[in-house]
Amino acid sequence: MPSDASPNPDAPAVRVRGLEYRYPDGRHALQGVELTVERGETVALVGPNGAGKSTLLLHLNGLLPGRGRAPVVHAHGPGAASRSPATAGPSVWIDGLEVNPKNAPEVRRRVGLLFQDPDDQLFSTSVLEDVAFGPLNLGMSRDEARRLALECLARVDLADAASRPPHHLSFGERKRVCLAGILACRPSVLALDEPTANLDPRGRRRFIDLIRGLPSAKLIATHDLEMVLALCDRVVLLDAGRVVADGPTRDVLGDAELLEAHGLERPLSLSTERSGWPGHG
Amino acid sequence: MRLDALERYADLDAPLQRLDARLKLVVAVVYVVAVVATPVGWWGTLAAEGLLMAFLVGLSGVPPRELAVRWLGFLVLFGFLTMMVAPARPERAGHGLAVVALTLLAKDTLAFLATVLLVQVTPFRTLLAAMRRLGVPAVLVSTLQFMYRYLFVLTEELDRMVTARRARTFRRSGRLDWGLLTGLVGVLFLRAFERGERVHAAMLARGWDGTVRTLD
Repeated sequence: MPSDASPNPDAPAVRVRGLEYRYPDGRHALQGVELTVERGETVALVGPNGAGKSTLLLHLNGLLPGRGRAPVVHAHGPGAASRSPATAGPSVWIDGLEVNPKNAPEVRRRVGLLFQDPDDQLFSTSVLEDVAFGPLNLGMSRDEARRLALECLARVDLADAASRPPHHLSFGERKRVCLAGILACRPSVLALDEPTANLDPRGRRRFIDLIRGLPSAKLIATHDLEMVLALCDRVVLLDAGRVVADGPTRDVLGDAELLEAHGLERPLSLSTERSGWPGHG
Repeated sequence: MRLDALERYADLDAPLQRLDARLKLVVAVVYVVAVVATPVGWWGTLAAEGLLMAFLVGLSGVPPRELAVRWLGFLVLFGFLTMMVAPARPERAGHGLAVVALTLLAKDTLAFLATVLLVQVTPFRTLLAAMRRLGVPAVLVSTLQFMYRYLFVLTEELDRMVTARRARTFRRSGRLDWGLLTGLVGVLFLRAFERGERVHAAMLARGWDGTVRTLD
């Protein structure tokens, strides 16, 4: 039984049980999602567009609160029957800490959420100011925050960009600044939404290497299955708000039929690798 | 990027650029108030204010041509204001409508030049920091900060939308297509609104609790 008051060193980094969510328009986005990410583990979250990947990531941070239960307007419609008992209790724990409004500040410090569009996340007028945003909110002094921000910028190879305004950076640079801004909060879990989307091959390679070097637990929502193959221990396949498959990367990504049924394709490198061994096809 | 013109002269090594932003901000505000408060008929004072502005423009290194172009862009607005205000002014009795209107136009111009010049010789970030230090309410400064940051993002978005529209428009017409324009404005508004929600979520994700904290 997970405790709900204090973080627990033995608890998994992320634990999701029976998570339900409806969009404000009543559409069922997540239906009883079950998911665990152990400490230090890197897990890929794959699935077609609209499967609920981004919505799930926002839940790790408690950013979509209080809509787990079906909205009242639907209580008498056909959707009323789908209200399951699982929606009544807490559904997400981070390091054993229940995600609820009371714990939100602590949970948000522990979960570093990287948004898909860096412009959503870079709202300050200079790069340094932006990276220091998290540390300042965590209560660090200005000097500490500045030092930590510079350190994190150095980690993403952008120490010389500290005083530049965000609109003068390339897309890849903006993405890395966002990552620095998250690292500056010293998270124990990284939730990355499409980290390699829209990056050029060099930017992508660089970003993958950066992510690989980070020790925290990672949950990566992506369509980039080659990156999944290179980075992830496990793959969770999500479709229409349900977990369809959860297993070791090569098992899930090697199952061409399963992937096709859910709008994905077996990564090319696996296909060519396997074509040498007809017995494994 | 076309908005880069906003700050083209802010990093020049010229006397005005080197001044403390707080001083520039206070002087600009005092200047604008003085110009606005100059009564009609005080030609000497108005001339002195104009000369001072010319001197400052000279010091700033901003080409007067560029300021004139911006001023032209706002001339419609000034003209409209003058037309609305001038007939109602009591000074009309003594000086005549034309003189009052021209004085108002001159005052608008000087106040406008002071503001544009301030922004031209001060990087916007520095200006925001100066406002904070001068005790301008944090909410107001943050609002300006977001406006400035997302002005760039939104113009890029608008550019892309205009290009996409153009790619699918096969007629050539000299007339402005109002239907198309209102559509663009509507979509841009919706996108800005949705982005606002995502930005807010991103701020919460990094521990924002409603208090503005900055490095300086």
